[in-house]
Amino acid sequence: MERAGNGAARIMSDAQYEPVATVYVVDDEESVRRALTRLVRAAGYRVEAYGLAREFLQQVAAQRCAALHASRGPACVVLDVQMPELSGLELQRELDATLPAVFLTGHGDIAMTVGALKAGATDFLTKPVRDADLLHAIGQALARSAEAVRHQHELHELQSRLERLTPREREVMQLVVLGRLNKQVACELGTVEKTVKAHRARVMQKMEVSSLAELVRVADKVALVGAASKPSAQ
Amino acid sequence: MNIAILAIPAALAVSAARRLALPRSAAAAGLPAPFDVLPSRPALRRVEALLLRARTAAHALTPAGAIAAAPLQPGLGLYASADAAWYEPRAAGWKERLARALRMRWPRRRAYLHRDSFGLLECAPVAAFVLDAQGHVLHANGHAARLFQYQHAELSGMPVDLLVPHLWSTIQREAPASRTAPVSHDAGPQPSQTAPPITRETRVKRRDGSDFPAQVALHAIQWQGAPATLGFVCDRTESYELKRDRQELAHLTRVSTLGELAGSLAHELNQPLTAILSNVQAAQRFIDHEPPDLAEVREILNDIVDDSCRASEVIRRIRAFVKKEELELVRLDIGTVLRDVMQLVHSDAIVRGVHLSLDIDEHLPPLRGDKVQLQQVILNLLVNAFDAVRDVEPFDRVVTAFAGRDRDGMIRVAVRDRGHGMTVDRLERIFKPFVTSKAQGLGLGLSISRSIVEMHRGRLWAEKNSDQGMTFYVTLPPWSEPETARRAS
Repeated sequence: MERAGNGAARIMSDAQYEPVATVYVVDDEESVRRALTRLVRAAGYRVEAYGLAREFLQQVAAQRCAALHASRGPACVVLDVQMPELSGLELQRELDATLPAVFLTGHGDIAMTVGALKAGATDFLTKPVRDADLLHAIGQALARSAEAVRHQHELHELQSRLERLTPREREVMQLVVLGRLNKQVACELGTVEKTVKAHRARVMQKMEVSSLAELVRVADKVALVGAASKPSAQ
Repeated sequence: MNIAILAIPAALAVSAARRLALPRSAAAAGLPAPFDVLPSRPALRRVEALLLRARTAAHALTPAGAIAAAPLQPGLGLYASADAAWYEPRAAGWKERLARALRMRWPRRRAYLHRDSFGLLECAPVAAFVLDAQGHVLHANGHAARLFQYQHAELSGMPVDLLVPHLWSTIQREAPASRTAPVSHDAGPQPSQTAPPITRETRVKRRDGSDFPAQVALHAIQWQGAPATLGFVCDRTESYELKRDRQELAHLTRVSTLGELAGSLAHELNQPLTAILSNVQAAQRFIDHEPPDLAEVREILNDIVDDSCRASEVIRRIRAFVKKEELELVRLDIGTVLRDVMQLVHSDAIVRGVHLSLDIDEHLPPLRGDKVQLQQVILNLLVNAFDAVRDVEPFDRVVTAFAGRDRDGMIRVAVRDRGHGMTVDRLERIFKPFVTSKAQGLGLGLSISRSIVEMHRGRLWAEKNSDQGMTFYVTLPPWSEPETARRAS
């Protein structure tokens, strides 16, 4: 119990922004749901319980999408595999990396376990589950979630810095990170080296980096974000 | 009348005589002595034919007009016998005619071995005895001696209760007065005109103390001027075993059906166990809190009690279902039977992704039946329906069970699936034993279900749905109907 309690505390301190770790329990069987909810709550986490997978999807997933990236705390879902209508495995497909799932099953066969783990389940536990196992799995899932949240947060931050650049500054940055010299950049953009220098200094300032190497690294990350966020933006 | 009839296998002379509408004086123990040569089988068939003709011509054999034969039941064999002492001079030539019919020579000497009229019963392929007014054996035939494993002589004077425990004491207690046959001056034994025969299904005892099921029929007669009882004992071991085999088979298929559900039943048990374990471990934590959260612990303990009850209820249901018991016909509510089965298949439906719904008319009359066997029928239909929707699109994996009344006032249960259905010729065959579409199936489910439903005087059949899939129907008579039907008939 101590271990798990500390685990929760550690995650909270790791996540430097609004670290409210939430555990969602989704099980169609009321008595199991109540018991699991209590156990997780007794270990010091905030718990929300849902009886229907669909209900959980509509409320939580939508809520997390609407929330600002910065206000997302780490979270995970404890999911029953066998549920009427929408099964746990189907539900998992709808979740993103910030919401890892810990699966509970009455009788897990190998195929089912492999399928779930491939689809990104943190853990696959068999009912009845011992508290140590469950809380350990929850701890790991939350750590993964915190990592994912931090990652997303960072990308979000870089993205907003990038948005502060003027179109011209962005062009300059694109060429600079490709390793072009100021002279070459000036030539390509049809301007003079001095102007490019000024643009470059402003880029470094706005992107909050102090070296070219740092700028390159940031550009890499942002490019990823750019690629990833484009489809959702459209 | 001089023809004596022993019917086989009923083997009761009286009932044979009744079927042939012979005068009672010619029947039962009043039979004349036997031929010393029993007629051959073809000969018997000719007698049979003769008697059949006699059905229309009432005076076929004797001018006394004694034979007014009723149609013979198929499979009813005959022993024919005649006694010169009963010969009526008016009926000259009847003996010759009978002998001609039998294609045998009429024995020159007196045909019977014993003067005693009981002698004929020696030929009967059934145990027979005559009891005196105190219930002691006066005579017993050889078959009786063999059946009870006594020496012939030992049986004389033996209280019948030693052979058929409690027989004499119960019938004396039940109807001592009516058991006394009216005094007749006829020298031969004669069934009473007033008292109907008493028949009992009971267990009888051999000499070594072992017992076996038997049917005992008792007739009040006059025996040498005194009231007596003529008794027949039929060994029922075979029919008893047949009945037991059928029960065994029903049990076997029940267990095998349940075996198919084993996985989901384990899940059903696992749920309360999961809840209990998590609750207990949560309670351990709440107690360690500073201060301990006793309100929470109290709530947890309540939940643990509920979950334990739920787990034991699952076990109780399984045990009741696989228990091997004698058929027990009781007043039942079909809705309860259905809901109990739903509990059994609930998890199976979830695991298989089947949407199972139940629609029960709440105002159904009770019915009379064996709860476990009817559960077996419904369980079988539901599991079949689950199998039927296995290969269809997930949104078509729908099984619905209805309980209501049909137009004739019968209680009707319908189990509908949206599977692929089946062809008409298959529809005919599925109720036959050992016909199955399942890899592990015994192919007995539906045939046993049908025999169970028919035993409940109901009907089980299947129809193709107009759109998709199959519906299996069970109709059962409501509780009150058997009584009214019996009164009406």
